[in-house]
Amino acid sequence: MTQYAMVIDLKKCVGCGACALACKTENNTALRHAGQAHNFADFQHETSGKFPKTKYMTRPVLCNHCSNAPCVKACPVTPKAMFKTKDGITMHNDERCIGCRACQEACPYSKMDVKIGETSVISYTGDEGAPHDPFFTNKTEVIPGCTSSGAELAGKTDMPPHRTKYDHPDYKDVRRSNITEKCIFCEHRVKKGQEPYCVASCPARARIFGDISDPNSEVAQLVKKYKGTVLKPEKGTKPNVFYIRSYNAR
Amino acid sequence: MKIKRRDFLKLSAATGLAAAAFKGSTLNALADAYRPGIGGEKPGYWVASTCQGCTTWCPAEVFVQDGRAVKVRGNRHSKQNEGVLCPRGHLSLQQVYDPDRIKTPMKRTNPVKGRGVDPKFVPISWDEAYNTIADKMMELRKNNESEKYALMRGRYTYMRDILYEVTTKVFGSPNSISHSSMCAEAEKFGVFYTEGKWEYRDYDLDNAKYILIWGCDPVASNRMVPAAIKRLGNAIERATVAAVDPRLTTSAAKAQEWVPLNPGTDAAVAGAIAHVMLTEGIWHKEFVGDFKDGKNLFKAGVTVDEAAFAEKESHGLVKWWNLALKDMTPKKAAEIAAVDADQLVRIARGMAKAAPNVCVWMGPGCCMQPRGAYNSMAVHALSALTGGVDNVGGSLQGSKNPTNKVPKYDKHMDEVAKKKTKLKKIDQRGYLNLPALGGGKSGGGVSTNNCATGMLAKDPYDIKMVVGYMNNFVFSNNGTDKWEKAMEAVPFTVHLTTVASEFSMYSDIVLPCRTNLFERIGFVKTKANRHATCTLLQSTIEPVFTVINEETDYPWHIGQKLKERGFPNLADCLTDIFKDPETGKAPTSAAELTEYALKYYTSPFWDGKKDVGGDKIKGWDEMKRRGMWNSDAYKYKSQWGGKFSTVTKKFEFYSETLKKALTGHAEKHKVDVDKVMEAAGYTARGELAFVPHYEPPKQNGDPKQFPLIFIDYKSRLNREGRSQNCPWYYEFKHVDPGDVGEQDTVRLNPIDGKALGLKDGDKVKISSIGGSIECVARLWEGVKPGTVSKSFGQGHWAVGRTASKVFGKEARGGNNNTIIPWDLERLSGSNARNGGHAMVKIEKV
Repeated sequence: MTQYAMVIDLKKCVGCGACALACKTENNTALRHAGQAHNFADFQHETSGKFPKTKYMTRPVLCNHCSNAPCVKACPVTPKAMFKTKDGITMHNDERCIGCRACQEACPYSKMDVKIGETSVISYTGDEGAPHDPFFTNKTEVIPGCTSSGAELAGKTDMPPHRTKYDHPDYKDVRRSNITEKCIFCEHRVKKGQEPYCVASCPARARIFGDISDPNSEVAQLVKKYKGTVLKPEKGTKPNVFYIRSYNAR
Repeated sequence: MKIKRRDFLKLSAATGLAAAAFKGSTLNALADAYRPGIGGEKPGYWVASTCQGCTTWCPAEVFVQDGRAVKVRGNRHSKQNEGVLCPRGHLSLQQVYDPDRIKTPMKRTNPVKGRGVDPKFVPISWDEAYNTIADKMMELRKNNESEKYALMRGRYTYMRDILYEVTTKVFGSPNSISHSSMCAEAEKFGVFYTEGKWEYRDYDLDNAKYILIWGCDPVASNRMVPAAIKRLGNAIERATVAAVDPRLTTSAAKAQEWVPLNPGTDAAVAGAIAHVMLTEGIWHKEFVGDFKDGKNLFKAGVTVDEAAFAEKESHGLVKWWNLALKDMTPKKAAEIAAVDADQLVRIARGMAKAAPNVCVWMGPGCCMQPRGAYNSMAVHALSALTGGVDNVGGSLQGSKNPTNKVPKYDKHMDEVAKKKTKLKKIDQRGYLNLPALGGGKSGGGVSTNNCATGMLAKDPYDIKMVVGYMNNFVFSNNGTDKWEKAMEAVPFTVHLTTVASEFSMYSDIVLPCRTNLFERIGFVKTKANRHATCTLLQSTIEPVFTVINEETDYPWHIGQKLKERGFPNLADCLTDIFKDPETGKAPTSAAELTEYALKYYTSPFWDGKKDVGGDKIKGWDEMKRRGMWNSDAYKYKSQWGGKFSTVTKKFEFYSETLKKALTGHAEKHKVDVDKVMEAAGYTARGELAFVPHYEPPKQNGDPKQFPLIFIDYKSRLNREGRSQNCPWYYEFKHVDPGDVGEQDTVRLNPIDGKALGLKDGDKVKISSIGGSIECVARLWEGVKPGTVSKSFGQGHWAVGRTASKVFGKEARGGNNNTIIPWDLERLSGSNARNGGHAMVKIEKV
C-alpha cells in the first residue's frame, strides 16, 4: 500500500518562508482572521543557549498525514469528511464537512484559536456565509476616488484575485464557509504527476516527497539513513512528515 | 453557529442520530471510492519575466489563468535560481493585487505640504496630468532654469536610460539622481580601490571550501538569494562557514563560526585575521608572493623592509603591514570588537588551510556607515590574502553582458541643454566634504541622501521640480526629518508609482504605474553563480487599471506635450534613436517606443549577428518566450597576471588607485589629502588613508544619553521597501530570526532588556538624536548585549491600509530611518544606514 510521506531536511532548510507562501498562492488560503491562521504550511522557531553561544533553528510544519489520525477518528459524519485515501493522504471532503471542528480539536498539531506565534494544521473557514477573505470584501478606498479597494479588485478579478484554479472531487480550490481545511498534500497535483507545491517551490530543496512504504524510495532511504524524527511521537499518531539532520553546524 | 452545531452533535450522538444527515452529505462518492475526477490545475500558461523584489533580479515566470497572475516561480532556463525563487517571488502577488493600487492619475488640491497633511488628492485625466507637467517644464525652460528640474530614480529597469538620462539631459538638467548610494556604494568602494571594479562581486559557492560571510545574510538578502539558499546547507556539510555579524542571522545560526563583533569595528577584525595569516606565514603565496629569502619577517609590532618581499598579483602588502597590520593582533581586535581572539586565529588558520578556495562574501553591513569605506577594503583584502579573489571557490567578477548601449542623442540637446547639463548636481557630489569617489573620480558617484542637503541649502541652486519614480526618498533615506523638510519646499513634484507612499504625499501629481514582474516592461542585467544574465520584464497580464511604463510611456507622452508647446527635442529624439532594429520603423506610440527600445537593447542576444557566447537564441519571439539569456560561465583568474583595473594592474593592499583619487580630489579643492580626510569625517592622516585600516566607528548621539547601538537590517520578506502593504509580510515576519509575526519588533539581549525592565511584547519608544519611533520589544539571545536590532520596512504612515495604521496620518510600527540620524559615508557618497552609528535609548511606553 502506498503511503505518501514528506521528509524535511533541516540542514538544507534556511527557514526562508518560500514553501508557506507558495502554498498560499497554490491553495488560495485566506489571510489570518477570526482566530484562524489558514496556513497549510507554517514554521516554528527555537532559540536556545546564551549569547554568544546562541542556537537558533526553524522547523517547517504542515499536516503530518498521520497513519493513526485523530482527526479522522473524531470526524462524526458518515461517510467521514476527514478520511484516509488509499495512498495515505489525510483527505478532507468539503461537501460532507459540517464544520463541527471536531477534527481541529482532536488534532494534536492544531489549535482552535490560533494566537500570533502559534501554528495550526487545521483551520476553520468561518461561520456560514462568512466571506472567504474579508480583506477582499472591504470597500474602503484610502484615497477616495483615486485608489482601489479589496472589493473592487476582487470584483474585477477573482476571490482572491490571484486565485489558482484547480479541480478535485473532495476539495475546492477556494473552500466555502463553515468547514475545516488543511494541507491535502496537493493531491490535485500529485495525481497529475507533480510534486506538492511546497516541495516544488523550496529553493533549498529541503522537502522530499514520496512513498515511504517503498523501502527504495528516497523518502524511505533518507528516514532510515538519518533516523528521521516526527513531531509529538508520544501522541501515537504515526506522522508521515519526517525531519532529518540538524539545522545548525555547531 | 459553530457552537450550536457542536452542541447539536453531542446531542445527536447521544440520541443515535446520524450526523451524516446534515447538508451536503448525500451527493458524495463514498470516501474510499477511488479518486475519479481529479481535474488538477485548470488551464493556464507561464510567462517569463523578472522578479525585482531584491537586487538578485531573478529571472522568473508567472502562471496566468483567466488573464490573472496566480503563481510565480523561477525561470527554468536560469543558471542562478534554476526555476525556484525565494519567498519574495510568491509574496509579490499581493503587490500586483494590492487593494490600494492607484487607479487613476491624481492631483493635489491642498497646496500645503507636510507630514500628516492631507493633500486632498482628486482624480484627473491623463491628458490634464501630462499637460500640467509639460507646462511646468516649459516654464522652467522659459525662465532659463531647466537645471532646477530633478529626476529621482528608485527601482529601475535598464530602460532607465530613456527617462533617467535622455529625458533629463535633452530637457537640460544635470540632475538625474539615482538611489545607488542608498544601497551599497561603500561596498563597491572597497572592491574598486583594491581590485579596480566599481561593482558587486559574484561568488563561486559550489567550489568554496571556506565561506566567510561578512555583514550580510546571503540566504535572506544581497545578490543571489535563491542560489545561496540552495547551497548553504551543502556548504555547512562540505566546507566551513563563518559569519561575521553582530546579529544572529540565518547564515550565522547555521554556520560553524559566528563572530558577533561590535558594529563598525570590522576593519579591526579583518585586520587581525590578516595579521594572523601574515605572522604565521600562511598567506596564499601564489597570489601574494613571498619574502625573497623565504624567511617570514612578519612579527607582531615589527616594521618590515619593503624590499625584502617580492609580490606577484598584489601590490603593497608590506606597506599595509607596516601602516595598519603589525599592531592589529587578535588580542587588540578582540578588545576593540568585543570578540573572542582565539576564534579569529582559528578562522585565519581555517581560511589559510582552505586557500585558495576561499569565498569572502562582503555585504553592506560592514561598510554603510560614516567611516565604513576602509572596512570594505579590509574585508575584501582577505579574499586576496587567501588567493580566493577571482579564483575557484572565491569572489568573482562578472562575465560580459553585451546589451546595446544608449544610442547617441547629443544632437538633440540644444545649447541650453548642453550648457545646463554641465552644472553642478544637487547632491553636491565632489564638494570638499563629499569626495564621492565613484569610479576613481572626485564626484564620480551619486550621494542620494545629500540631495536633501542641497535642496534645503539651495546649494548649488534651488530645485523647483522633482519627478520621482518607483522611489520613496522621504522614507527610505536615513534622516527622514530632513527629507520631509526638503520635499515640503519643492514647488512641484510628480510621483510615478504603483501605490501611494510617503513621497506621494509631497507630490502635486501622482501617476499610476506598472508593477514589476507582472506588468512593467523592460530588462535588467545581473550576474550570479558564475553566469551573467540578461532577463526581460514582460507584461504577463492585462493590468486591472490603466497604468504606464514610467521609463518609456511617460517620456513619450511628455515629449509629445513639450512638442505641442514648442519644444520638440525630446519627442524627436525618442523617435530618432529608438527604431525597430528589425524593420527600421520609427515609433509612433508609447507602446512602440517601449517595444523598439527593448528590442534595440537586447538584440545582441537574439539577432544572430554576432556570437556573444552563452545561450543561443533565435529571434525576438524566442527571446520573449524564454525571457532571458545566460552567459557562459565566468573564467577564473581573468584578472590575474596583471589585468586588474587598478593603477598598478595588481590587487592593491596599498591603494595607488585611492591615492590618485584622493589626491585628485584634494588638488581640485587646493588642499592636501589630510584636509580631505578631515572634511570627510575620517581620522586617518598621511599614508594610512591609502590602506585598509581600522577607524573608530562614529557615534551619533552621546552614549550616556543614548547607551545602545542600533542595528538596521533587511527582512527576507522586504521587496526592497515596498512589501509592507502585503498582509503576508506580517503573517510570516517571524521567518526573520528573532522576529515575531504581525508586529514591528526591536530585539534586545535579555541582559539589556532586564536592565530596562522590559519583557517580551512590551510597547517601547526608541529615541536617537534623529527622532523617535514606537514598536514592540523582544528579548532574544541572538542579539549582542549593548546593541539592539530591528528590520527596515515598517513605519509607513502613507502606504495603504495594511502598511499604515491610519493612512496619511499614523504609521504602523516605526521607520528605522527616522532614528538613524541623517549622515553619509563621504568617500563613496553612501547613505550611512548600517554599522551602528545610531545611538539610541529605549523606554517602555
